[in-house]
Amino acid sequence: MFSSSSTTRKIAWLTGLPLLLLLLSGCSGYDPMAWLRDAPQSTFDAKGPVAEQQLQLFYVTLWVTAFIFVTVGSVLAYATFRFRQRPGDADKPPPAQTHGHPIVEISLIAAAVLLLVIIAVPTVRAIYDIYELPDDEDMLVIDVTAYQWWWAFEYPEEGVTTANEIAIPVGRKVKFNLRTFDVIHSFWVPKLGGKIDMIPNRDNWLWLQADEPGQFWGQCAEFCGESHANMKFRVFAYEEDQFQEWLEHQRSDAVDPEEELAVEGKERFQGRGCLACHTIQGHDAMGLAGPDLTHFGSRVTLGAGMVENTEENLVRWLRDPDGFKPGNLMALDQNVQNLTDEDIAALTAYLKSLQ
Amino acid sequence: MPMQNEGSSAKVITEERESKPVGLARAFKRPTATTGLVGWLTTVDHKKIGIMYGVAALFFLIVGGIEALLIRMQLAVPNSELISAQLYNELFTMHGTTMIFLAVMPLGAAFFNYIIPLQIGARDVAFPRLNAFSLWTFLAGGIFINTGWILNMLPAIDKAVPKIGWFGYANLTSAEFSGIGTDFWVFGLQILGIASIVAALNFIVTIINMRAPGMTMMRVPLFSWMVLVTSFLIILAFPAITIALACLMMDRLFGTGFYEPVFGGQPILWQHLFWIFGHPEVYILILPAMGIVSEALPTFSRKPLFGYAIIVFSGVIIGVLGFAVWAHHMFTTGLSTIAKTAFALATMAIAVPTGVKIFNWIGTIWGGQIRFTTPMIFALGFIWMFMIGGFSGIMHAAAPADGQQHDTYFVVAHFHYVLIGGSLFALFTGMYYWIPKVSGKMFSEKLGKWVFWTMFAGFNITFFPQHFLGLGGMPRRTYQYDADMGLNTWNMVSTIGAFILGIGILLFFYHLVMMLRKGAPSGNDPWDGRTLEWSISSPPPEYNFAAVPMVTSRDEYWARKMIPEKKKLIENEKPEKSIHMPSPSWFPMIVSIGILIGAYGMAFLKSGYSFVGLGTLFWPIVGLLIITAGIYGWAFEGPGGYHLHPEEEEGSGGYRKKEPSDKSK
Repeated sequence: MFSSSSTTRKIAWLTGLPLLLLLLSGCSGYDPMAWLRDAPQSTFDAKGPVAEQQLQLFYVTLWVTAFIFVTVGSVLAYATFRFRQRPGDADKPPPAQTHGHPIVEISLIAAAVLLLVIIAVPTVRAIYDIYELPDDEDMLVIDVTAYQWWWAFEYPEEGVTTANEIAIPVGRKVKFNLRTFDVIHSFWVPKLGGKIDMIPNRDNWLWLQADEPGQFWGQCAEFCGESHANMKFRVFAYEEDQFQEWLEHQRSDAVDPEEELAVEGKERFQGRGCLACHTIQGHDAMGLAGPDLTHFGSRVTLGAGMVENTEENLVRWLRDPDGFKPGNLMALDQNVQNLTDEDIAALTAYLKSLQ
Repeated sequence: MPMQNEGSSAKVITEERESKPVGLARAFKRPTATTGLVGWLTTVDHKKIGIMYGVAALFFLIVGGIEALLIRMQLAVPNSELISAQLYNELFTMHGTTMIFLAVMPLGAAFFNYIIPLQIGARDVAFPRLNAFSLWTFLAGGIFINTGWILNMLPAIDKAVPKIGWFGYANLTSAEFSGIGTDFWVFGLQILGIASIVAALNFIVTIINMRAPGMTMMRVPLFSWMVLVTSFLIILAFPAITIALACLMMDRLFGTGFYEPVFGGQPILWQHLFWIFGHPEVYILILPAMGIVSEALPTFSRKPLFGYAIIVFSGVIIGVLGFAVWAHHMFTTGLSTIAKTAFALATMAIAVPTGVKIFNWIGTIWGGQIRFTTPMIFALGFIWMFMIGGFSGIMHAAAPADGQQHDTYFVVAHFHYVLIGGSLFALFTGMYYWIPKVSGKMFSEKLGKWVFWTMFAGFNITFFPQHFLGLGGMPRRTYQYDADMGLNTWNMVSTIGAFILGIGILLFFYHLVMMLRKGAPSGNDPWDGRTLEWSISSPPPEYNFAAVPMVTSRDEYWARKMIPEKKKLIENEKPEKSIHMPSPSWFPMIVSIGILIGAYGMAFLKSGYSFVGLGTLFWPIVGLLIITAGIYGWAFEGPGGYHLHPEEEEGSGGYRKKEPSDKSK
């Protein structure tokens, strides 16, 4: 047993220290949680109505449970301290053998139910707000198909097909039709809203909206095999006119390369069989097994949101696709394995030219 | 006790003891040894079986722990190249599978086995040989499901470790997307399911039928009550996964299409079946833990459990509601709004009986004389950690918010608070509470507190930051994360915490060894206990109770110590002259070996490997023959039995019979 003075000191430290830290952080303006909002996939940085409602609901659950934790925790801490065995207690008769107290028990149950209702009401409201399709004629429809481990995007009304990076208009609701033909994946853009799974033989959908322009990170959230970690994508929210420009550009055929090396690359893209799996609109490449590369050069990322789309990374990718993204289909292809340095240099120049 | 003519069976056994088995024909003659290797392999004594469950579970706890540390090492820094994607996927699959099915469940089963008969005043479980069969089948499953680690070292076989997650979502488990590792997982879980269902039936019958006279259901100690509820959950929940796994096996081996989209199958079907099992499984892991804590808190507060009846009914309600909330694991699968609402509300409802338990635990220590022994601080630590895990559970129940949390590290944090802070801390409570009874040795309190605080600190440093990581956008089951995702610092902190937790558990093993080797004698009742197990010697004699106690109140042993009239009860209970004990048997283990062989044959059936008869029906048939022969032998050898005479041994230490098997512990 510790003496009472040292106990008091301990309690002072235990309660005082966190309070002191809190005070210090408040005065200095240092925000230890800033990183949490700045993280590109942070759920605390809601940029659309769906994510915002989910965040607000999270705060309701957080405050209610924090209240219960502090209340129940204080009673538990008090009881633990107050009723500790003191020297000499062991020789005294045992404490009163009380077996319960119906009124206390029932009122605690009632209090718990009441607190849960505070969570339940906004939960049910949010379920109907988020998971029912809003009635909106202006809604943009995007068909998303997930593959191991990349994303195909189609704008059926606008006639646009692309991969791994998409644009949406600010302030308009977007309905994503979520499809997969291999295994289960999950479509998640944390700053715009929670995830919905893509399940074979199941027609799922999700609506999202961006309230301001920006670049939002997305990632597959359901384990889908070896390179699950490398299945990412980007969503760009543009103002309406910029979005229309983007659509126009995406609809157009691929530009013809001018640079000598790039022209060489165009030939090798056909000669090495790349066209069997990739589409490059206007360049006689119509393969469907891999991502559409028509405007590859204009994308900011490579390998389904994995890394920045630089020449250096592209060379690395072509040289060793399996080391770059373990298990991916391209690594199994004989033609890819047999690419020479000249092939890679030419292909890189060509692909980068596909603005 | 088996109902039979005890006199004649005892005679038979006496004859057998005299005759020595000769040759193969007599190799399976009923064993009689109660000591040595044969004694342990053929034992039907619930205490020895409990110890073996415990040793195996602690071994698998180390295996699963090493897997966890490798995972955390990989995640310490962004884009780490330490572990390949494939190995990482294997590690988290096996970590989850191992911890749930091979560490936490069997560690609970160790207490079921050892403690339940002692708490309810019985001399063994209802079906002692079936109990041995559960143990050997569990071990077979544990060995089987881990075989891949060894096979992977052979040049001929690749990808023998499952890498589909412990949840094995279809259709990543189909023949198209995964290899023989999935077959090992499928048959491994089936074997473990057999072990669990058989054990659960055994404990239901034991707790309902074998209570000492006077022990009405509302006098059954809380741990035993929770085991009863858990056992019902097991027999109701495991069939769901058995069916799910059978369908998956058919898909993989015989070309059916339950989960195959190309045949019109539904991968989503797997999720429903899996979570109809999987959610009750969570309560299968936590209810015994709550039972253990409900034993320790009253003992160390010197007060009865506050609101015994309401705690019992809360446990039952949790068990029932546990079957009505499975789809909260599937909020992101595109359920209808009605289904989402129903499952969200049902999930919130389950928080009420859980909260009731916490209130009543506080009520138990309120007004008591709390002794801060190692088991008590583990129990108090349990309440704190379980509260945090419970609260993040309520957050998940808010379905739209769960849309952000699902499959992120927030969920990882949540269920580790429930399973480590909850189940494992409670199991450590149980170990510190009951091992003095099991071993007859006492541990050092000082080191015990070191173990607790190291584990407590390590656990929180590991898992609390994971709440932030998850809400910061880190998905689960990813072997790498980018350096610019803002997740670097807390991943490093989490990894450091994991190693502190690892040191804490290592310290526990050191503590355990020290206690067993050098501990002072614990005596019968080191904690001033309240339930019947403390009324007998430590370790208990083979027959547990020389005289079957006449139960007159809820905390029977406490009442006998405190109430003068009840003290007389003890004087009236005369040790029986001759106690009938069931005979050991080889057959439970033989049947389990048959299952193991058959399962190996089945796993290799469509593997494409064709050495030593693998890839054909040869080994499955051999396995089936051994199982059949084993069951026949089991049936025809009968329960058997022999007699022990407590009074004659009284001279050598009270009712305690000297057990030479102590040496091999």
